[in-house]
Amino acid sequence: MTTWHTQAHVLVDPLPADWREQLVAHLGRRPRRIGAWAELALYGARLCLDAAKEQTLPAGAQLRVASLIGPLDSVRAMTEQAKTGLPMPFTFMQSQPSQMLAALSLYLVWQGDARFTLCRDKQAALQLAQQECGPAGMLFGWVEEDRRTEWWRLVPSP
Amino acid sequence: MNEVYLAGRGLASALGPDLESGLTALSRGGVTPIRFEVASGFAWPYYAIADEDPDWLARAARITHRVATESGALAGPRTGPLFLGSSSLDMGVLEQHHEFRGDYQTFAETVAGWIDWRGPVFTVSTACTSGMNAVLSARMLIRHSHTDHALVLGMELRNRITVGGFGGMQLLSPTGAQPLGQARNGLVLGEAMAALHLSSQPSRWRLAGGANVVDGRDPAGTVPSAVVAMCQQALAESGLSPTDIDLIKPQAAGGLANDATEARALRQVFNPLPELVSFKAAIGHTLGAAGPAELALLDYAQDTSLNAPLAEQAPKRVRHVLASILGFGGGHTAVVLEDCGK
Repeated sequence: MTTWHTQAHVLVDPLPADWREQLVAHLGRRPRRIGAWAELALYGARLCLDAAKEQTLPAGAQLRVASLIGPLDSVRAMTEQAKTGLPMPFTFMQSQPSQMLAALSLYLVWQGDARFTLCRDKQAALQLAQQECGPAGMLFGWVEEDRRTEWWRLVPSP
Repeated sequence: MNEVYLAGRGLASALGPDLESGLTALSRGGVTPIRFEVASGFAWPYYAIADEDPDWLARAARITHRVATESGALAGPRTGPLFLGSSSLDMGVLEQHHEFRGDYQTFAETVAGWIDWRGPVFTVSTACTSGMNAVLSARMLIRHSHTDHALVLGMELRNRITVGGFGGMQLLSPTGAQPLGQARNGLVLGEAMAALHLSSQPSRWRLAGGANVVDGRDPAGTVPSAVVAMCQQALAESGLSPTDIDLIKPQAAGGLANDATEARALRQVFNPLPELVSFKAAIGHTLGAAGPAELALLDYAQDTSLNAPLAEQAPKRVRHVLASILGFGGGHTAVVLEDCGK
């Protein structure tokens, strides 16, 4: 049985009022075309990698994100737009968890196995991620828009 | 570690309510897409399941039950993990009623209830690669002996918002699907509900390996280095080399740039390039359901020797197949199947 070492764990709850400004300062630019949920994922992931003293994820590591609320605010906005015609393209994109994964890949300058996989039982979601994980470990996040962002940098013990 | 096999599959698509009727329709030249109007003056071709029940949930429940039954998964214990891979989930009912009850996991649990599934329920939502990633996750739980069977559902059922969203991004063809065609001019979307029953019990098709690579540099496009990495990782996990692959089912959605990028990247890995097969001109791009839907069609066609509809020049010998889905959000996902009967 594999044992896991927690290189870093970051929980931001409640969110500081200026978390978006902190993210911009950290990235050196404002993230474009992504919704608040994806920005919050990026904010937490960046803090966790900083705590792990890593510039980015190593090649071969995996990224897993879960959320019970997910991008539902964007989904709501999209259904409102659709009442009066077509949904706006950016709102449609922001309603997809895959755009959050793309943003993490882009701003962490990393290419690899990233997925949004959700289970009501958080332990089951983590267990699945661990089974899928290789020796480079993973970055695992649970992100709830307007509420909290929690991330773990986990590596299997040798 | 356990080996993982495809024990059964089911599919409802524009071709028909089940696989047998679908392959029969395909062998007769396929079906014609409908015109799907999302707003006044905005309509695109769309491959629709022939079921006009206006009650979105009742229709979804009925289709789900029928397809899961066809896969054989409901005949045994319903205690393994259930994976729902979908991009739009229950968007069809949300856009009708604007009632947001529950959370992002609620719909998958509702689907589990429709088929009285009692195992753990997972939602996988990575846009077009959702269903394929669900296959990879289910495979891994069986590999590591957490379960001896799992059910993967790839679901993408009709809704105006998804068609309107793709239309708004100017990604849809106004005329028809021509995957890898010279005159291709965009995607044609479709709806599908696919079920793949995976098991550790040996059967003809083994899931030999797979890979998922996300690269966000082009959130709506194909990234060549990610296609190459996806193929190389999937082959390595399967213990195979490029020359072992007899047939490739690429994404080939009909996009002007993405199809060309994908083809160029495949040529970097495979030389010579094996035969290619595409289903998107027959069922449309079924987004999150595309992986399981196209795998179900591919395997069923092989099992029933109905190769004729698959390719102009069907390969004489198909032992290893690489099937991939590339998606919105920089997702590039592949599985490798091995025919254990050869």
